[in-house]
Amino acid sequence: MSGRAIVITSGKGGVGKTTTTANIGLGLAKHDRKVALVDADIGLRNLDIIMGLENRIVYHLVDVVRGRCQVRQALVKDKRFPHLSMLPASQIDQKDSVTPEQMKDLVTQLKEDFDFVLIDCPAGIEQGFRNAVAGADEAIVVTTPDVSPVRDADRVIGLLQNSMGDPQLIINRMAMDMVKRGDMLNQQDVLDILAVRLLGIVPDDEEVVIAGNRGAPVVLNEHSRSGKAYERIVRRILGEDIPIPELNGHGGLMHRLGKMLFRR
Amino acid sequence: MAPVEAGGRGNALYLRRSLRSGQNEVFEGDVMLVGDVNQGAEVIAGGDAIVFGTLRGMVHAGYPDNRDAIVIALNLMPLQLRIGPFIARADEGQNPRRVPRPEVARVKDERIVIEPYQGKL
Repeated sequence: MSGRAIVITSGKGGVGKTTTTANIGLGLAKHDRKVALVDADIGLRNLDIIMGLENRIVYHLVDVVRGRCQVRQALVKDKRFPHLSMLPASQIDQKDSVTPEQMKDLVTQLKEDFDFVLIDCPAGIEQGFRNAVAGADEAIVVTTPDVSPVRDADRVIGLLQNSMGDPQLIINRMAMDMVKRGDMLNQQDVLDILAVRLLGIVPDDEEVVIAGNRGAPVVLNEHSRSGKAYERIVRRILGEDIPIPELNGHGGLMHRLGKMLFRR
Repeated sequence: MAPVEAGGRGNALYLRRSLRSGQNEVFEGDVMLVGDVNQGAEVIAGGDAIVFGTLRGMVHAGYPDNRDAIVIALNLMPLQLRIGPFIARADEGQNPRRVPRPEVARVKDERIVIEPYQGKL
């Protein structure tokens, strides 16, 4: 078996990479796929908390790379889905304690046993990013519909295109009432700038925060709007053709900002 | 980089791609780019700079001191634009929405002005 290795990245921190990784991972597991989640954010481990698995960690990614244990010993099985596992990051090591070549070997090894290997990338474009991207076949870029995350996403897309072709995009925390008032970039504004395929839009929803704090990601809640959005994203990853609802409102922020020079 | 006469013959760089944030092109002659120049991207041209797309990033035409250089874009919305020794910044205030149209930027009376581009200079 050779699975698909997908890195989830963004450039900017705090836009929801880890939450996205957890929800897509659980969503794919709900569809009976064998999934491994890799927390590549060495030194700032978070995925275990969102997944509610922090008390089960024995070994971590750096232990595996250093040969202190086998991969299967470090993989933490999910409490809901036995075919979903997580490889935690180390909380005490540095980003440079792993090389891109070592990450590539690790991901290649995981692909033999899993249908999907999802790699949760750290913020930034330095060593941690290069490590996280090294073993990936595909990428998902997460942004919120705000000016600075979009610029950082643009930077990351440029870097990814050098190594693996076009990534797909998830727009996270879209606040419909703000878009309608023209106070937030809308779907079209973001796509005009980033010009990549849109994989899905996740609405701004406090359920996501509550679910993350409880360690039970929102995709498990079939009644929440954001849970349904993640479910649609998962099905698109599995190849289903599910249209993306238009969430444009009346003219987004770009129209209102329309910054101009001296015009006559 | 040596200054080059804008609109001169046979010294242009043609690019058919977009420049994303963090990407740049530096060329001693004219630059013609079919695609967008996004915020955080830069084009520095010794001569003219033509963007057949949306210009959101920084373009410096006529680098370093050629004040005859022009910038044309199908949708000209940079935060800052430079021609030769002149710099123009975007207005801080909000402007009414508009339909994108081709525009040309050039130096007139010691400052950069922007006019609709209607196929003639």
